[in-house]
Amino acid sequence: MSEERRIRILYTVGAAAMTAFCLLPVAYMVLVAASRRPDIFSAGAEVRLTAGHFLDVLGTGSLHFPEYVVNGIAISGLSAILAVVLAAPAAYAVTRLDLPGRMSFLFLVLAVSMFPPVSLVSYLFRMMSALGWINTYAALVLPYTAWVLPLSLWILASHFSRIPRDLDRAALLDGCGRLAALRKVMVPVAAPGILSTAILAFIFAFNEFLFALLLTTGRNARTIPVGIALFEGLHGEIPWGMIMAAATLAVVPVVLLVLVFQRGIVAGLTRGAVRE
Amino acid sequence: MMLTFHGISKTFVSERGEVPAVRGVDLAVREGELFVLLGPSGCGKSTVLSLAAGLLSPSSGEIRLDGELVAAPGKKVFVSPRERNVAMVFQSYALYPHLDVFGNIAFPLRVAKGKEESITAEVARAASMLGIGELLRARPGDLSGGQRQRVAIARAIVRKPRLFLLDEPLSNLDAALRSATRAELKRLQRELAVTTLYVTHDQTEAMTLGDRVALMREGSVLQVGTPRELYETPRSPFAGSFIGPSPMNLLDAVVFEEEGHLHLRIGEERVALSPKKAGEVRRLATGRVRLGLRPERMRISGDPGPPALRGIVVSAEYLGRERLVSVETAAGILTVLTDEVAPNEGDVVGLALPIETACVFRPEEGE
Repeated sequence: MSEERRIRILYTVGAAAMTAFCLLPVAYMVLVAASRRPDIFSAGAEVRLTAGHFLDVLGTGSLHFPEYVVNGIAISGLSAILAVVLAAPAAYAVTRLDLPGRMSFLFLVLAVSMFPPVSLVSYLFRMMSALGWINTYAALVLPYTAWVLPLSLWILASHFSRIPRDLDRAALLDGCGRLAALRKVMVPVAAPGILSTAILAFIFAFNEFLFALLLTTGRNARTIPVGIALFEGLHGEIPWGMIMAAATLAVVPVVLLVLVFQRGIVAGLTRGAVRE
Repeated sequence: MMLTFHGISKTFVSERGEVPAVRGVDLAVREGELFVLLGPSGCGKSTVLSLAAGLLSPSSGEIRLDGELVAAPGKKVFVSPRERNVAMVFQSYALYPHLDVFGNIAFPLRVAKGKEESITAEVARAASMLGIGELLRARPGDLSGGQRQRVAIARAIVRKPRLFLLDEPLSNLDAALRSATRAELKRLQRELAVTTLYVTHDQTEAMTLGDRVALMREGSVLQVGTPRELYETPRSPFAGSFIGPSPMNLLDAVVFEEEGHLHLRIGEERVALSPKKAGEVRRLATGRVRLGLRPERMRISGDPGPPALRGIVVSAEYLGRERLVSVETAAGILTVLTDEVAPNEGDVVGLALPIETACVFRPEEGE
């Protein structure tokens, strides 16, 4: 066997093992969601496929699952947009302006994000109660934005620092002020980085559990992870089929988002800006 | 548009301390002229350009555009690039990759909120001036280096700037394209009659393009003059070596007076100076001097009459029309640019010294 062939086989086997390891729980989830009974691996159990769980999850009014999906998308989307809108000027300032202590500032921002969420949540609960914001979008959007802001700033700063300085210098000479240079040149050129940052922020907010559990009390602002965790079956049994069906459905928005923006993320938009 | 620098210094502060990039520069660029800043890399010429553009603010001194103060840290005056109405062509071209050629050229007009019909006309005019009218829908990524350069120039001229700044605009082009673009730039500058500040490290570019040239070194301007003045009367050995097709030969000599006439001693040779040259040398007082001899004015001769040096040919480079011959003499290795049949390596030859056109420098003047 040639060296090259051996490497290719090892490569394929390794990749397959990794993929299997990561996707097995997902496969289990989908399988349970689509089966009549959750005990598909018990001895003697037969697998009978059904769409019933999906229909139940979407159709049972008392579960409020569609509302949770809407809440999740709206809250995550707002958090992602807000985070990017706030992080982009900050990243521009950090990478382009001649500020003293830029690095210290970046590390300070990173340090702020090191606090574990659980240390903040009780204070947040008191604050949101005092404001009367419990069970509103704002109660989640603001903490989520604050939480992903340091990461967004770091990612955007690294994207911006890769854009040649001559590009925004050209914008300044072509009559832009700093903000116009950011809006008309930096943001369009860094669009792939901005999109991927926004998607990361979206996914974080979409998955977040602790804040969502404590700062919401009902279907007005409850998001999918909390909604699923609080599913109650009839007669106190755990409705595994419906839980798995809901979890499967929850994947759909994220997958769609990534698919839609994939081209924008991958495309090398800076091609031809300056001589490489 | 006139641009003046008065006592401009720029010091960069970094973690490693203060780095002076420009030290006490005085410049006066005249209306409509093409003024070249020439110097080796790191001499501060690009910093001077950024200071003129308003991308940097000086540490001290005053910059004026048409008499109007645009930067004076002492008086807390700083006019942003936007308000200066200057245009710049970058070495890297700096085209906007997300816009097509039309969008790139139209960018400054759109920022200035021009009417869309007039923008279309202006862009078409600038593009046709540079012969890129066919490329308006192409993206910068699909263009060749020369085409990108033209787009960058079109973007700079489209809004009729008061001052045109060019930062090594030709250094990324290949040799053939470079000389063609050089000629075209000159023509364009004449046509538009826009005051231009041009930065380059290439003395050929400086000599062929510049109405006047400022030679810079280590943040200071050493000499300002027409290309001819810089070539004929360099004020320092550095200027002599930097300007010209190949570096000036520099050798030690002694000036002494005998029977009322000034003489020059080079190694063992003694040369009586003509009255004209003597008058020029007398200003320097007698004693040790540095003599600068242009290789293209030296001649190789089989039987040299004085003033001459003898030496052995150590190399002869073929340059096409000419040959660059290096000869090892008692005064060091001297080079000769000759279009005559060159001697072979190892030959013993005589070198005729062009004393009448030689430059005489004080020994303490830096090289």
